[in-house]
Amino acid sequence: MKRRSFIQKSSLLAGGVLLQNEVAKAIEADDIKIKIAVIGCGDRGTGLMKVLQTMPQWFKITAICDVLDFRLENAKRISEDATIEIYKDYNTLLRSKDVDAVIIATTLSEHFKIAKAALISNKHIYLEKAMTYNIPQALELVKLKEKHPNQVLQVGHQYRYTPLYFKIKDMIKKGYLGKVTQVDCRWDRNNNWRRPVPSPDLERQVNWRMYKEFSGGLAAELLSHQIDFINWAFDTHPTQIMATGGIDNYKDGRETFDNVQVLFRYEKEDMIGNFGSTLSNEHDGYLFKIKGTKGMVSMLVNDAVFYPEKRAIKELQTVDGVTGATKIEWNKEGGVPIVADKEKGGSWYCLKDFYRCISKNIEPTSNVLTGATTAFCVHLANEAMYTKTLQSWKPEFNVFG
Amino acid sequence: MQCLAKEASNCKFSGRSFFMSLMIGFLLLSSGFKKEEHLNMYSLTGLAQGTTYHISYYAPTSKITKVQIDSIINKIDSSMSVYKPYSLISAFNKAQTRVTMDYHFKKVIEKSLEISKKSNGAFDITVYPLVSAWGFGPVKTKNLPDSNQIKSILENVGYQHLKIKDNQLLKDKPSVKIDVNGIAQGYSVDLIASFLEGKGIHRFIVELGGELIVKGKKPKNEFFKVGIEAVNAEDFSPVKKYIEIDRGAVTTSGSYRKFHQAGGKKVNHLIDPKTGYYLQNELISVTIYAKNAITADGFDNVLMGLGLKKAMSFLAKEKDLEAYLVYTENGVVKDTCSAGFPKIQKF
Repeated sequence: MKRRSFIQKSSLLAGGVLLQNEVAKAIEADDIKIKIAVIGCGDRGTGLMKVLQTMPQWFKITAICDVLDFRLENAKRISEDATIEIYKDYNTLLRSKDVDAVIIATTLSEHFKIAKAALISNKHIYLEKAMTYNIPQALELVKLKEKHPNQVLQVGHQYRYTPLYFKIKDMIKKGYLGKVTQVDCRWDRNNNWRRPVPSPDLERQVNWRMYKEFSGGLAAELLSHQIDFINWAFDTHPTQIMATGGIDNYKDGRETFDNVQVLFRYEKEDMIGNFGSTLSNEHDGYLFKIKGTKGMVSMLVNDAVFYPEKRAIKELQTVDGVTGATKIEWNKEGGVPIVADKEKGGSWYCLKDFYRCISKNIEPTSNVLTGATTAFCVHLANEAMYTKTLQSWKPEFNVFG
Repeated sequence: MQCLAKEASNCKFSGRSFFMSLMIGFLLLSSGFKKEEHLNMYSLTGLAQGTTYHISYYAPTSKITKVQIDSIINKIDSSMSVYKPYSLISAFNKAQTRVTMDYHFKKVIEKSLEISKKSNGAFDITVYPLVSAWGFGPVKTKNLPDSNQIKSILENVGYQHLKIKDNQLLKDKPSVKIDVNGIAQGYSVDLIASFLEGKGIHRFIVELGGELIVKGKKPKNEFFKVGIEAVNAEDFSPVKKYIEIDRGAVTTSGSYRKFHQAGGKKVNHLIDPKTGYYLQNELISVTIYAKNAITADGFDNVLMGLGLKKAMSFLAKEKDLEAYLVYTENGVVKDTCSAGFPKIQKF
């Protein structure tokens, strides 16, 4: 089936389920490109556009949408496509016949309603993290998605798609770290986290991360990646949630905290997770350490090193010598670098899999259920720090059933 | 694992004399003439030739120091490291016609030329300009060479461009350059081993950059266990396969770890001196067992270049070489070995 006849045929089919099945089949049969729209053309949205442009065999960006004119102009320039459809209202975009799938990269507060509308409009969805602004929205999206089994809803927790992180998950599963009891994460910066504002009346829209009405702050924007990775790697979720934070340095009218520390207890795993972020010191920058009885793995965004414990080194050295082509080199601190494909950035692997899931009609690794679980964690952490209370996991959060 | 011989005793180096000495040893022990002296294990580790070395030996008292080992390595480096601008090999590469070789350099060059002839040029130290062009030399290159560049480089590649006259190494063109990385580590291992023997140490393992030599047994009549690195598992995983030996050298060559990404391709560091391009065949790694490390080290790359079938027939003719080969067949990793390779054991 050629692209034109595919369009004609699919437009004849009014039923949503049928339509999406048809898209999947057509893509598989003819290697047809997915027509994708980007809703929310800020840094993240345009960043994903650039990644999509490196995958012309899989995607064609057919539409863009943003409430701010200067962002639309910027996105249009990036698209280099005079025929691209431009929208200021996502509801109008969702009615376009020339859109099979949408990327939602708006402020966190908008995620739920746009995702809901996109599901109802039978579009596949790549929804940036965190999945939703709060717990009720996450629960509702889970229910709604059940009614749309043939649409792909992938959440942008990209560590689930990065080969390095995949390898580390495998290490944990195979027991190389031994019994893990502690996880240490940081994501620190030393700047005010603000973006330049073209005119003062756009302050809240551009710097939405500063305002509680739009954003889940540092926990949602930064720590959610690591929180999600731990949920995934250990197939778990925290049961007790403690957190503290404050506007400790940038007293510039912001509402979200510039300094946070989250402490999770994973009762099922007998494990503690420490997740911290400050905007006032970047010496540690990104830090992600998983500590077990046999060793620790220390991760950066693209690199990781395994540090076996002394006892485990002895176990590793049950031979008198090892022959190898290019011998494993232990670094000066006694660690072994973990080698994984890092040719592409995390977003590339995510979008590649988004294509695969749509074309083969399969459930993404980062889906509505895992996305909801992490959204619960983020919301509980924010609740704990904003209300200065201890939070607990509730049975209704067990969306996996 | 498909091994042509199941018994470790088929090994070429465990011949009649070995059997006799075992018998004599057994008789001596059982008749109470000799008590086993108390032996301690001593270990030395350090950095060498861009990698590390490990020495373990059993002796009644400590007999060697790290300073001594490091000075041996320094001697070899200042003779044969292309990474040292002051080395003899660097001087040769810059020279128009010749340099005067020192003892070690001469040994290595002689062995290199011997292996080149035996392998019909599959091993060739004049490969250096090609190795550099592909970005594996001291200077990192960004762009991969094109076919014209390769063609012009190939004019300076070939061991026939080299000649030994007394203590001099001669080249017939100024642009001929050599790199003994494929064999110098093996020589270093042998040299350290002979130093240990000279100090009266007879039970040891010397390993440098994954190439090693063993002599004697550990106390309680135990063999030295030599792990063979896994080629596809996690880089940190414990060694799963090993052999037990009391003599001989083991080295491994492989395309599985040292490579870089260039132009969307994985370029590995094993360059074919005949075609000028990096090796691409079914072999992933070759582990050689031989009398000494220089021989093992020289031939592991040769076998890598031959591919599985030719490597096996080459091995059938070479009495002093045994090998364990890992290769892919229809995407599945498999392994095999020659008849005399020590028995592969699993943890």
